[in-house]
Amino acid sequence: MSGDIKDFNKTGAFLIDMTKCTGCRGCQVACKQWNQLKAENTTFFNGEGYQNPPAMSEYTFTRIKFRDYQKNGQNEFAFYKEMCMHCNDPACASVCPVGAFKKTAEGPVIYDTKRCIGCRFCMVACPFGVPKYEWSKAFPLVKKCTGCYSRIKNGHKPACATACPSAITYGPRAEMLKEAERRIAARPDRYLKKIYGKEEAGGTSVIYLTALPFDELGFKPVTKRPLPSYTWQALRLVPGIFLTVGGSLSLLSWFTHRKDRLKKEEEQRTQSRKHSDQNQEKTE
Amino acid sequence: MTAARLIINEIKGYHRFLKFLMVLVGLGALASLVRFIFGLGVTTNLNDTYPWGLWVSFDVVTAVPLAAGAFTLGAITHCFHIKKLEPLVRPAIVTGFLGYSLVSVGLLLDLGQPQRCWHTMVFWNPHSPMFEVSMCIMAYTTVLFLEFLSPVCEKLGYYLPLRVLRTLEMPLVVAAAAISTLHQSSLGTFFLIAVDKLHSLWYNPLLPLLFWISAIFSGLSIIILEATMTHKWLGQEDESELLETLARIIPWVIGVYILVKAYALFFLSEGPFFDRPRMLVLFGIEVLAGVFVPFFMFMQKKVRNNNRLRAIAAGLVIFGLVVNRFNVSMYGMIHEGAPYVPSLLETLVTIGIIAAEILFFVLIAKYFPIFEHHPETVDYSLPDKFRKVEKHGSVAAGA
Amino acid sequence: MTNHWIDLKNADAILAIGCNPAENHPISFKWIEAALDNGGKLIAVDPRFTRTASKADIYAQIRPGTDIAFLGGLINYALAHNLIHQEYVREYTNATFIVNDKFDFEQGMFCGFDDTEKSYDLKMLAYELDGAGNPKQDRSMQHPRSVFQLLKKHFSRYDVDTVCSITGTKKEDYTNVAKTFCGTGRPDKAGTILYAMGITQSTHGTQNVRAISLLQMLLGNIGIAGGGINALRGESNVQGSTDYGLLFHILPGYLKSPEFDNVDLKGYLEKWTPKTQDKKSANWWGNTPKYTVSLLKAWYGDNATKDNDFCYSYLPKRSGNYSYMKLIEKMGKGEVEGLVCMGMNPAMGGPDSTSARDALGKLKWLVTVDLWETETSIFWKRPGVDPKKIDTEVFMLPAASSVEKEGSIANSGRWTQWRYKAAEPVGESRSDMHIIHEFFTRVKDLYKKEGGTFPEPLTKLAWNYGTGHEPDVHQVAKEINGYFTKDMTIKDKDKTLEFKAGDQVPMFKYLQDDGSTVSGCWIYCGSYTKEGNQMARRDASDPTGLGLFPKWSWCWPVNRRIIYNRASVNPDGVPFNPKRALIAWDGLEKKWKGDVPDGPWPPMKDDKEGKYPFIMLAEGHARLYGLDLKDGPFPEHYEPVESPAKNLLSPVQNNPVVKLPKNVSSDLGKFPYIGTTYRVTEHWQAGAMTRNLPWLVELVPDMFVELSETLAKEKGIVKGDKVRITTVRGTIEATALVTARLKPFIVGGKQIEQVGMPWHFGYAGLAKGDSGNVLTPSVGCANTSIPEFKAFLCNIEKGGKRS
Ligand SMILES: Nc1nc2c(c(=O)[nH]1)N[C@H]1C(S)=C(S)[C@@H](COP(=O)(O)OP(=O)(O)OC[C@H]3O[C@@H](n4cnc5c(=O)[nH]c(N)nc54)[C@H](O)[C@@H]3O)O[C@H]1N2
Ligand SMILES: Nc1nc2c(c(=O)[nH]1)N[C@H]1C(S)=C(S)[C@@H](COP(=O)(O)OP(=O)(O)OC[C@H]3O[C@@H](n4cnc5c(=O)[nH]c(N)nc54)[C@H](O)[C@@H]3O)O[C@H]1N2
Ligand code: SF4
Ligand code: SF4
Ligand code: SF4
Ligand code: SF4
Ligand code: SF4
Ligand SMILES: [Mo]
Repeated sequence: MSGDIKDFNKTGAFLIDMTKCTGCRGCQVACKQWNQLKAENTTFFNGEGYQNPPAMSEYTFTRIKFRDYQKNGQNEFAFYKEMCMHCNDPACASVCPVGAFKKTAEGPVIYDTKRCIGCRFCMVACPFGVPKYEWSKAFPLVKKCTGCYSRIKNGHKPACATACPSAITYGPRAEMLKEAERRIAARPDRYLKKIYGKEEAGGTSVIYLTALPFDELGFKPVTKRPLPSYTWQALRLVPGIFLTVGGSLSLLSWFTHRKDRLKKEEEQRTQSRKHSDQNQEKTE
Repeated sequence: MTAARLIINEIKGYHRFLKFLMVLVGLGALASLVRFIFGLGVTTNLNDTYPWGLWVSFDVVTAVPLAAGAFTLGAITHCFHIKKLEPLVRPAIVTGFLGYSLVSVGLLLDLGQPQRCWHTMVFWNPHSPMFEVSMCIMAYTTVLFLEFLSPVCEKLGYYLPLRVLRTLEMPLVVAAAAISTLHQSSLGTFFLIAVDKLHSLWYNPLLPLLFWISAIFSGLSIIILEATMTHKWLGQEDESELLETLARIIPWVIGVYILVKAYALFFLSEGPFFDRPRMLVLFGIEVLAGVFVPFFMFMQKKVRNNNRLRAIAAGLVIFGLVVNRFNVSMYGMIHEGAPYVPSLLETLVTIGIIAAEILFFVLIAKYFPIFEHHPETVDYSLPDKFRKVEKHGSVAAGA
Repeated sequence: MTNHWIDLKNADAILAIGCNPAENHPISFKWIEAALDNGGKLIAVDPRFTRTASKADIYAQIRPGTDIAFLGGLINYALAHNLIHQEYVREYTNATFIVNDKFDFEQGMFCGFDDTEKSYDLKMLAYELDGAGNPKQDRSMQHPRSVFQLLKKHFSRYDVDTVCSITGTKKEDYTNVAKTFCGTGRPDKAGTILYAMGITQSTHGTQNVRAISLLQMLLGNIGIAGGGINALRGESNVQGSTDYGLLFHILPGYLKSPEFDNVDLKGYLEKWTPKTQDKKSANWWGNTPKYTVSLLKAWYGDNATKDNDFCYSYLPKRSGNYSYMKLIEKMGKGEVEGLVCMGMNPAMGGPDSTSARDALGKLKWLVTVDLWETETSIFWKRPGVDPKKIDTEVFMLPAASSVEKEGSIANSGRWTQWRYKAAEPVGESRSDMHIIHEFFTRVKDLYKKEGGTFPEPLTKLAWNYGTGHEPDVHQVAKEINGYFTKDMTIKDKDKTLEFKAGDQVPMFKYLQDDGSTVSGCWIYCGSYTKEGNQMARRDASDPTGLGLFPKWSWCWPVNRRIIYNRASVNPDGVPFNPKRALIAWDGLEKKWKGDVPDGPWPPMKDDKEGKYPFIMLAEGHARLYGLDLKDGPFPEHYEPVESPAKNLLSPVQNNPVVKLPKNVSSDLGKFPYIGTTYRVTEHWQAGAMTRNLPWLVELVPDMFVELSETLAKEKGIVKGDKVRITTVRGTIEATALVTARLKPFIVGGKQIEQVGMPWHFGYAGLAKGDSGNVLTPSVGCANTSIPEFKAFLCNIEKGGKRS
């Protein structure tokens, strides 16, 4: 949960300008290298263009998605980097029963392998389908882009951002947003007038600029509200409900059993009276 | 004769059906073994697109409301003090206890790190509905266990604990109801996070409330079905009169459900309803067969008074609940890629769990006094100074 | 590159033709993007819609092998629409020069062609000289035999319609390209042309490059910031390797390799030192003797003396063409005994691989020095051969990778950066220097012990690189820079400089032809001086704001970041474009400001000392009209050797000076489609470097072939199908990638399909697949012999090899 972070202007953010992405996949390989992830066993291209591997996975934290199609008789060959969005208010962190996910003040949403119980709720919750599971293991954990927290902590930029020749800029979120706006204003002909991630899922630490409509590139439409607020609106009622249900049922049974109790007390009283009577009789 | 021999001989005497169940449980156990050796990837058809499958959808999301009879009936019987329903309570508690225990088994299989299940108690995240549910399930299983201890103690003649348990009975019933309300609804809260993923036919902010209400009438329906069956198959007493009472309560609850659902659907849901024909069909099945048909059936006295029809209506409710829970937790989730079909091993585990539930129920019924618990013979007063409890005839008969 | 990578950001228009920088030079896009952000336009001219094309403002499809037509059309467009940079053309190019009256161009042929020799008589194509021996000029450029008029006439045939029906380019795309790029002919605009293998790998590759230069000269784009002709070089240090004489026809520093008739040093220098009578021409190659002698001194040290011609006689004299293809041809005939393959994979890299692999089997011994087991090192057990039938003895020496050793690397922009060892070599592997050192000492010892024919070239070599097993790389670098062999006093203008024996030479103008200096590669003189290793500099200051970063690493020559920069100013020394002033003459201080100028002399206008900007040419003027090309002074369109089309411009089908091998075929009945080969970002060359790395194999796991949707439909091929591609030289199997990015061409009204494939796959490594080079023809450029990898004819069929 990011409960304790109020100001996201200074958290580290990726500005990924897809108009400047050449689909070289340097980022993809740099990520594997830094995180020492296994190569996947692929065959041919999975998806359009030269896309591979087929999807993000326990071995692939980031992937360039290719789009290869025609629009108005013109070729479109577009590339889009998938990775954890490092949401300001991450759904993954909010649902995790053991708080294994955490939004850091530096920006990355990090994962504590030692806490995780492997329930995969984070996977269900993430609006971007980011957390992946070690399906091959008997006692699996979750895997996802770390935001290169270990690098950030040491004053480096994330591995993918470092490797990227042209498309990824990394810096404080407010600055990245400003830069994104500047670019759109400077070349309105080139950019779609929208910054993906500015408001999506309540704002993310990965923001995108494109030339093509986001849905054409396969971006998921995502609510603007932080996702945890959807569950919280119900969860916050928990203590209240507990007390109300518990209390009213207690009261209820107290009432309903009152008659019984009275009857019983009455009975007991008469019985004890009888008893003493008998005793008396006996002594007599 | 050794103890093992004794047990074997005992089992030899069991009905064929029980033996069949035992085989199923055995198969399930073997399948679970595979999971712990080779992992979830090999055992199940789960993948990153379908991180939750049959085990979560059935063993947890569906099994929990099906075990809801205990708390509903407990509350109705004790809190509303409808004493005559008392005979149904113990079987319901047993069902509930078994249900929850097996939910836990299912969960342990499904968790990647089952050995860490205690983490929920140490690393709290009150923002997580699953944290809430797991705390509740743990608490509630304990409650059910304590409630279930009564017949056990009776059977074994442990009078002192029995007294303590009796003292706790009322608080336990209240706690059970409160806790159940929380986690039955929180199971719905799970899916509130699935904004833009769960189809709008199911996604709405009242999902938790709907889950709770449906748990109530499904729990009651399960009792009807169970009692009808135990009467038929286990030769237990005919409780039709009591079941009629339950059947009279159910349509009220369903009615409320329908109203809330309609409100949620028409006023709180966003997005299209008719964009995916498959979803529409599933929704139709769930609502028509599982809600409206039983609703109208239970409204009729003829149905309520007829053992068969009543059981059928109850069965429909349960069917509807299963469909509903699967819709919400699986089918209604908008997924790309190939559809998920549970693997053989996955299915075996679930079948094993269901078989275990039935098996244990029958066995418990066989060895413990769960049906003999009749209101007129119970003393609900505070125990008077640990004086020896009189031996009730029925208890003796059970021994 | 005349310019350098960072300078791309200064361009108003970037024409990427026959290269795919997004995929093959990814970092370049950092600067291309910067240009685009500044309002620059990117134009991609490629047969396929590539990742570069996806970023381009304009994409123009071009049929493989028709770049001269395409560029010729642009030249014509610039001339016809008067978009050229008049002053630049008049002052700085040979447009005003007059060609001798024998010059003739008829029916696709220049005059003086010898049909049996397949060569031109270059004398018939020379300038007309005046009494002093200087070329005659007509400043008005109206003389019918002025280069300008000849040029105009030559290219007037390249009108848009003709061009487009040759290249298959859509007319509106073409005119769009022409308008945009020729729009940089103004003094305040800069256009750069990026090219690579799509231009060079052709039987007329050199003329392709010439066409690029011509266009840039006309537009005044050479020597300026944001301009230039920029070859995007390939292998990471291929610039360095050519600088150091990797090719058979050159010695280090682009000195010519001696030919059989250069019998002694005098004869050699006579032949290769250009002369001019024009005082204004700096004629820098006039210094050839200094550089040659300094080089010989580097090689033979104290053994090289004036009396023994500085050991010139030890140098091999060539009598013909020793290019790669010729070598393999000889090898195939069993004329080569042994081969050392150091960082090269000939079983994969060259054309017609099947022949090359067979040829390897004719060797007695083969040494591979590589990081990996390559197709070459296991050629004897490749699929389909019986190892028992191959007698070649193969030695594999493991080499240390670039990060496991220290040294310099020269990038395309001639920036030479010092790199440090990051890790110890793995296992038994050794640096190449170590291996060469061992080779040298052992062979030398053998010669010493056993004697032999002519051992001196080896035994007399100076080898002053320290005493360790591995030569001291700093000693090597210092020798390359050069040092004085004795105390010297040199007068330079008003300064007198004192040097001690052993002092590093500060720059090449101090190199001597009398043996008093040593320099292993004159163009690198200045890279390792008294001030230290200039290549190791890492000062990121940028005083001009043009991204020259003069104190970051070191750049040959003399740290000049953009060569021919004297052409960026008018004859008075005033920048054509003051907004992007590369250099400017400060009349008060009497010196140039900005980049290191092409020579210290005052501007060209200065009567006493002014010099023309193109100092490497005897006439000091850039050559619109070329004097020393084997295939004529102007680029002329010819079809590739295998082509589906008739030459629409002349009856001459192929480059007339190229001799055709036997195994080429333009039989359209059998091979109806154009085949082309190229690279993908994810793999490197012959593949050893990437097909052994799981992270890269994961990205592109299989050999694939790209084909258009129309061809796929016609052939019933869907994405993922196995297909066979066949040429007259062989058949390979690949997986089909059907894409709208490849489209057929309309050529002369006919629809012609193309089939494109990478050439990275082979039978070694983690990911295996067939090599595109089984298909390519063994025929090369008339001037450079680079193979025609980019255009051939093939057939494609559904089904795997064994279907
Ligand atoms: N990732 C990666 N990068 C590399 C290399 C590598 O193997 N992998 N190799 C390096 C080396 S050694 C080199 S030389 C460079 C080469 O760099 P490039 O020249 O960019 O490489 P290619 O992909 O061979 O060819 C470039 C383009 O030319 C197009 N083309 C083919 N025929 C023609 C034609 O007739 N006319 C025109 N205009 N275009 C044509 C092809 O479709 C291709 O897109 O790359 C270097 N960089
Ligand atoms: N069809 C077709 N064929 C082509 C081309 C084309 O476009 N199409 N392009 C051509 C071009 S431009 C080129 S440059 C050639 C390239 O052809 P090659 O040079 O044969 O190919 P590479 O794979 O680059 O071979 C370099 C080898 O050097 C090894 N190596 C790497 N580092 C070191 C080191 O430090 N020391 C040593 N000793 N070895 C090292 C690598 O493992 C690799 O095996 O191919 C040509 N072939
Ligand atoms: S994108 Fe998903 S995994 Fe990443 S922070 Fe957001 S919710 Fe968590
Ligand atoms: S799988 Fe692990 S990280 Fe994800 S929600 Fe469950 S416990 Fe938390
Ligand atoms: S931030 Fe780090 S972990 Fe995340 S995609 Fe980039 S390189 Fe991979
Ligand atoms: S490294 Fe940058 S340019 Fe290359 S694919 Fe990744 S985001 Fe795109
Ligand atoms: S591979 Fe190396 S040389 Fe080529 S672009 Fe990338 S960093 Fe530059
Ligand atoms: Mo190359």
